Amino acid sequence: MRRWRRSGARAAAVAAFLAVPLAAIPGARLRAAGPPAAAGLAFVVNSAEASLSVIDITTGQELRRIPVQREPHHMALSPDHASLLVGDTVGNTVYFLDPRSGAVQRQVTISDPYQLQFSPDGKWLVVNGLARNQVDIYDAASLQLAHRVALAAMPSHANFTPDSKIVFVSLQRTNRLAAIEVASGRVLWNVDVGATPAGVLFHDGEVLVGLMGDNAIGVVDAADGHIRRRIPTGRGAHNLFLSPDGRFIYATNRVDSTISVLDAHTLHVERSFAVSGGPDDLDFAPDGMIWATRRFAHSVAIIDPVSGTWRVIPAGRSPHGIWLNTHDSFPPAGATAPRKLS
Amino acid sequence: MTDPFDTLAGWIEEHLLLPLLYAIGGMAWEDVAYGWALFAVYGAAQVGLMYALCVPLERWRPVERWANRRAVLTDVLYTLIARIGVLPLVTFVAFYRIQVGLNGWLTDHGYVPPTLERFVPALLGHPYVTFVIYALVLDFADYWRHRLSHRFRWWYALHALHHAQRQMTFWSDDRNHLLDDFIAALWFGVIALAIGVPPLQFPLLVLVLRFLESLSHANARLSFGRLGERLLISPRFHRAHHGVLAAGQRSCNYGAVFPFWDMAFGTADFSRDYPATGDPDAEESLASGGYLAQQWAGLRGLVAAFGGVRS
Repeated sequence: MRRWRRSGARAAAVAAFLAVPLAAIPGARLRAAGPPAAAGLAFVVNSAEASLSVIDITTGQELRRIPVQREPHHMALSPDHASLLVGDTVGNTVYFLDPRSGAVQRQVTISDPYQLQFSPDGKWLVVNGLARNQVDIYDAASLQLAHRVALAAMPSHANFTPDSKIVFVSLQRTNRLAAIEVASGRVLWNVDVGATPAGVLFHDGEVLVGLMGDNAIGVVDAADGHIRRRIPTGRGAHNLFLSPDGRFIYATNRVDSTISVLDAHTLHVERSFAVSGGPDDLDFAPDGMIWATRRFAHSVAIIDPVSGTWRVIPAGRSPHGIWLNTHDSFPPAGATAPRKLS
Repeated sequence: MTDPFDTLAGWIEEHLLLPLLYAIGGMAWEDVAYGWALFAVYGAAQVGLMYALCVPLERWRPVERWANRRAVLTDVLYTLIARIGVLPLVTFVAFYRIQVGLNGWLTDHGYVPPTLERFVPALLGHPYVTFVIYALVLDFADYWRHRLSHRFRWWYALHALHHAQRQMTFWSDDRNHLLDDFIAALWFGVIALAIGVPPLQFPLLVLVLRFLESLSHANARLSFGRLGERLLISPRFHRAHHGVLAAGQRSCNYGAVFPFWDMAFGTADFSRDYPATGDPDAEESLASGGYLAQQWAGLRGLVAAFGGVRS
């Protein structure tokens, strides 16, 4: 079986889809032509197959699968970069993996760990329990539960302010976004932001939230939660990722199966990539390629953001979170927000 | 290798279910919809596999031949509802939500929710082995559910719908009263929660097991031989359970996939050869009525049983 394939037809379709001619966009703005992909591993969470695929970034070969118990979704790198945490929701377990090899270091029993986020200062770990309508705030060092915040309903994604004082959590089923004071666990505000909010990114003093039941990203006032404006990206706007150089925000759109590229300063949509299979989470390779999970196509798309072409590496069933262990080679992002892990 | 069933389920999710959920404001349930798509695709594959293998078998070596097969058509409807339609959705949604909620609650209270891999860590990463263990446990549980459904009069009033069929074919496996299905789902749900069965990991293997259950109802003269019949339930073995003399509260051969439980608990009968099927005491509409008429008759039977009257 071919493990690494290129689709010329897809590339043509993508080129035809692009709303903005490639020539109109300075290539250097999207990515600097980088060196060949550095050696490294990509970790892909197969949520409906209870495993992680470990993929060699250079060859595109899936090297092995790491079994977990039930239903993993997201990952987070520990502040000291010594462990990659993988949340197994139905297994009520967080796995600590060696981010260099994928070797399991230990397991910790934690209730419904759907989404995991460390605070930028490394002191806190926020765990969203999607099924249990709870946001758990742990002391990151001891993993002692500091606060349990009950929030209806389906808390899905989270992101911190750079000072680590506030975490914003999307509440997928009740169309709300909540701001929680981390140290006290106090809910500062909890407001309606639009249909089925998902991915959250604190950026330039505002909170961006993907509105999955809509076709837009909501730009929310971090102080009180009111919507300042909406930026149409595509139906099923889902998750948001700041590029390593801090210049672009990539938004996945689940229903349209596209990835929108926004100028991180103006939030203007520069272009859009058609990536079939329900793109969900993504990460950035050192060579400038974007690795995106395709939830309904059991694979990962590797997208060239300049040409819009992409190729596919098979993964397990319903691949969700993705993380590349090459980030230490990145220069400091210099961005206003902590980099998200998916 | 890419699983074609997964590919089809993904296509259904991406091109049919997601746009539908988006249109009706149900995007919060996209993960659940994908779970249903997987079940529905594997369910459709079950039906296809059953049809491809059992129809030739039933034509080759039929136990009985019927001029009018209208009663069989009703069983086809039961099968489609049970394996592709509403029931997988309800079962999956309910099971998934209850499992996540209950396990999380247990974790909060300092109790580690049970999974087989926690008891035997070496099983982690060996899904086929764990599946066989789960299959044995669930089949054992199903033996007792089935046996009790014959033991209690009110329960058998519902289960009689399954036994009333005089034209038993491979389609008859899913011919059950909705309340009987509900009790079975609850029964399995509790057991599955107790032993931590993962809902999405084994659809292909579940397909095989369900196929064996359908095969055991086939209108075919098929025995697995003296030894084989003691390892896996054959159409011959299960037909004895559906025989007119075995209907009601005293029956035999209650097992679904493995005959071990009948052998262990003294209810196995390997001596009967292809008896006529049906329940002579069952109301006629349970046998020959349409889907709704059968469901209604089952309810009447339930009420009568509670009232102390045999319907």
